[in-house]
Amino acid sequence: MSTENVDAAGPVRRGPAPGEPRTGLRARLSHAWQPFRRASRVSRVLIFSGLGIVVFFLFAAFLGPLLYEYDGTQYRVEVAPGQFEPIRALQPPSGEHPLGTTRDQFDVLGRIIDGASLAFAVMALAVSIAMILGVTLGLLSGYRGGPIDRALVTAMDAVYAFPALVLAIITAFALSAIISPGVIPAAAAVGVVYIPQYFRVVRNHTLSVKQEPFVEAARSMGAKERTVLGRYVFFNVVQTVPVILTLNAADSILVLASLGFLGYGVPPPTAEWGYDISRAITDVPAGVWWTALWPGLAIVILVTALTLVGEGLNDVINPLLRSRGKTGPKIEPAPREDTPADGGTAAGAAGAADAGQQSGRPSVAVRGLRVGYRTPDGPLWAVDDVSFDIYPGESLGLVGESGCGKSSLGRALMRLMPPGGVVRGRVEVAGEDMVGISESRLRNKRGQDLGLVFQEPMTRLNPLMKISDHFIEMIRTHKPKVSRAEALEIARTALSQMGIPPTRVESYPHEFSGGMRQRAMIALSIALEPKVIVADEPTTSLDVIVESQILDIFGRLRSEEQIGLLLVTHNLGLVAETCDRVAVMYAGKIVEIGPVDQIFNDPKHPYTRGLLASTISLETTELHSIEGYPPSLIDPPPGCRFAPRCPYVMDHCTDAVPQLAETNPEQRAACYLYPGAGAPVPEGVRAPEGNPQETGV
Amino acid sequence: MVLILLTLVFLLLRAVPGDPVTATLGGRATPAQIEAAQEAMGLNDPLIVQYLQYMGGALTGDFGNPVTDPRGVVEIVAETAPATMELALAGMLVAVTVGILVGGLAGRLRDTPFDIGGRLFGIIAYAAPVFWTGLLAQLFFAVKLGWLPSSGRAGGFDQPEWITGFYVLDSLLTGDMAALQSTIEHLILPAITLGLLVGGIFIRLVRVNMMQTLRSDYVEAARARGLRERNVLYRYGFKTALIPIVTIMGLQFALLLGNAVLTERTFNWPGLAQALVDFIGQRDYAAVQGIVTFIALVIVGVSLIIDIITGLVDPRVRY
Ligand SMILES: Nc1ncnc2c1ncn2[C@@H]1O[C@H](COP(=O)(O)OP(=O)(O)OP(=O)(O)O)[C@@H](O)[C@H]1O
Ligand code: SF4
Ligand SMILES: [Mg+2]
Repeated sequence: MSTENVDAAGPVRRGPAPGEPRTGLRARLSHAWQPFRRASRVSRVLIFSGLGIVVFFLFAAFLGPLLYEYDGTQYRVEVAPGQFEPIRALQPPSGEHPLGTTRDQFDVLGRIIDGASLAFAVMALAVSIAMILGVTLGLLSGYRGGPIDRALVTAMDAVYAFPALVLAIITAFALSAIISPGVIPAAAAVGVVYIPQYFRVVRNHTLSVKQEPFVEAARSMGAKERTVLGRYVFFNVVQTVPVILTLNAADSILVLASLGFLGYGVPPPTAEWGYDISRAITDVPAGVWWTALWPGLAIVILVTALTLVGEGLNDVINPLLRSRGKTGPKIEPAPREDTPADGGTAAGAAGAADAGQQSGRPSVAVRGLRVGYRTPDGPLWAVDDVSFDIYPGESLGLVGESGCGKSSLGRALMRLMPPGGVVRGRVEVAGEDMVGISESRLRNKRGQDLGLVFQEPMTRLNPLMKISDHFIEMIRTHKPKVSRAEALEIARTALSQMGIPPTRVESYPHEFSGGMRQRAMIALSIALEPKVIVADEPTTSLDVIVESQILDIFGRLRSEEQIGLLLVTHNLGLVAETCDRVAVMYAGKIVEIGPVDQIFNDPKHPYTRGLLASTISLETTELHSIEGYPPSLIDPPPGCRFAPRCPYVMDHCTDAVPQLAETNPEQRAACYLYPGAGAPVPEGVRAPEGNPQETGV
Repeated sequence: MVLILLTLVFLLLRAVPGDPVTATLGGRATPAQIEAAQEAMGLNDPLIVQYLQYMGGALTGDFGNPVTDPRGVVEIVAETAPATMELALAGMLVAVTVGILVGGLAGRLRDTPFDIGGRLFGIIAYAAPVFWTGLLAQLFFAVKLGWLPSSGRAGGFDQPEWITGFYVLDSLLTGDMAALQSTIEHLILPAITLGLLVGGIFIRLVRVNMMQTLRSDYVEAARARGLRERNVLYRYGFKTALIPIVTIMGLQFALLLGNAVLTERTFNWPGLAQALVDFIGQRDYAAVQGIVTFIALVIVGVSLIIDIITGLVDPRVRY
């Protein structure tokens, strides 16, 4: 991980110093820049090339008429005072007329420049009209509610569903009965098309804001309701409107040109790109290409540029589309600490020695495992040099505060990484290293040797596939020789083991409740009888009855099928009930590992003690919570990562990372309070003892 | 929805512009003739009566009679709508094909040169006005290379016998291969011109949806089960990404119809949109109103069809 990068980002995050306007401006600018920095490089390039082109067109539209000698509607040149000479029609591009002349004796470049001015004028007017009407109606609709709201919503839906161009034509047509054609009716005709979009955004925000408690609160404090509403709606809408606005601006140019092409736009001879193209239709067969080509190119380029800006903004504003993990500096391949990272060396040997109650070969042997992510603020190791084993039929609990890397560890066992994530170290499953093997070998082992159960069952099944198809697909992928009927039979058995009637196998996922889906997921992950199941908070979103059913299932699988279990959870009670051993993680490292009863009754590491003391149980005398928060993984504290929060912290704690050392038989902690962590325990230091819920941290 | 749309059409065309007959016949008729025409169209009745008559007519398939054309609107629609529909369907085919192929691949290969190229292509395809691309296509493929005809629906002697009005279908029904060939040759340029524009939008939609589903929980879960990448991409990424596309296809169809107006004008395609534009030029309010009413009904019909299709492909909305 590169420290330069953190430094470079440092000043950005620091607030402006008071009384220094220059820093203030810089800080504010960099604040506005923040989302751009997080967006992918592609989006940034798109936005800025688009902006460049738009600015170029703006210059052409406003300065062009001053700089360029021909007017768009000028058909003759004044050669001497009072003496005119006509411009010759349909001349090809030349030095005199860089883009040629039209059949109406106009200069093409002059018309393009004038057309740009017109396009910008209509664009601005049309979008303003749409925005003013849409926002007003949206506020009215959302604020008033009731029948007005319903009528407006349906009407807007209808307008939105109607072909935009036909709507614009008809509006232009209807307006022409009232006012004479010109820029304003054309802009109005174009603008009508976009009203529903603003209406919808503003109405929805008004509705949701109206129900917010803070509006109620502000109202009761005497603030004028409308002011409050207005302000909050404004701040919410401001995030979405720029995108709509830019895209509409782009579209309005097309609609204006289309109106012009059909002859319902701004009346001739005003320079307008669409009208000019319609005039050029008859030129084309005669081999006159310049009258049609240039105005069309102008449209394409300007609309493309505006769309690029709009799309880029959307990428930046809409975090869903952000490419996570692909921004920011690359992760350095070299491990950053001096602890050996591969098996067979100190950590590995120690890991193997930790051994647990079981003997024989472990189902999963993890050595020096690291999981890294690239983030916009810099690379981080979410799991940093972790080693442990899981034996057949054994259940290992994995606990720790949110963000300490539990899920990352679970997924890393399968090398299941999002873009930008990397796995280092060794994960040996059935004699093969998951980190090193080829993609196809890895796919073979996923699902077959290792099963993964996720936290959120609702969204883990393909909504378009029946439950049975999920099974058949997976079983036949791994065992092509199994027939569909046999696979279906396996599915039925697995489901009924989970307490789901086999008849439900033909259901779709949405026909299952959350608990059923989770049980189906578990059935799916055990269908191929893997060696180990990694269950990442499998019961967090379920009620206690389903939870205990699922835990029973796990228990049975372990005793009957000798399946190992890695249970990731926040719930210490669950661990006490289900697990043989437990590993405690803090900031990417395992700080303590050992048999459940020992860890619960006599935890050694101050973090484990704090964690237990903050949990309610029968023995609780006083509830303590650990002060402070876990450190940033991007720039973790030196030495022991718990030092900033540790009540026992000593001077040398921050010097080097403490190693896991045996504190009881089979129980190991990484803390300098115990001998073997890497430094001698100073004279007079007494390690805490006993159950922290009784004796205190 | 139907009622609201029709009401809007009525308001826009009947209530706003004042007196349609004077506007239509203008200086061409005597005051007595105008009076008679107004009486005949029921324009002297109160607005509410006119409204009810209009709605009643529209819902029972009576779209009124043009002032400038002896045929009824229904007849005009029957003669021109098949041409428009044929063009629109062919365009949709092009749009969907291009959109799914390019958008799906771009979403899969996000931030690679293909993605950037596909995205740019989508944006430019949408940014280019159909009448301009149509013109260029005519110039190049029809005038210069002479590969394809530049306008009309079929060669003079190759028109199929009129059965449904859909030439492709008609020539297949009558087994008239010359007509089929001519029809398809005439259809290619307009359909591609129109389809590329809408395809530009599809590319964007498919790409974004593909990106989102590829990052979804069930894709991760599918990978965790060790499925083949091809399977994950196709069954979990691609197929589920298409569902939201189907649901918004109705809107794209409206876009397609709107741009059919321009395509028909460019390729001299004898369709409904062309007729609409002609009547607008003649300021024939009655005809415009009738045709627009028909378009409104088509839009509603399409959204119904889309609902049905969604129901067929998405188990979550099956009944
Ligand atoms: N895809 C990712 N890209 C970048 N950073 C990530 C990514 N996934 C996780 N992280 C970071 O890695 C760290 C560990 O995340 P992880 O999800 O493993 O924590 P956890 O212990 O499972 O937390 P929780 O208990 O909340 O589920 C966090 O700091 C998180 O911000
Ligand atoms: S090593 Fe030091 S700082 Fe870390 S937990 Fe032990 S006593 Fe606390
Ligand atoms: Mg987690």
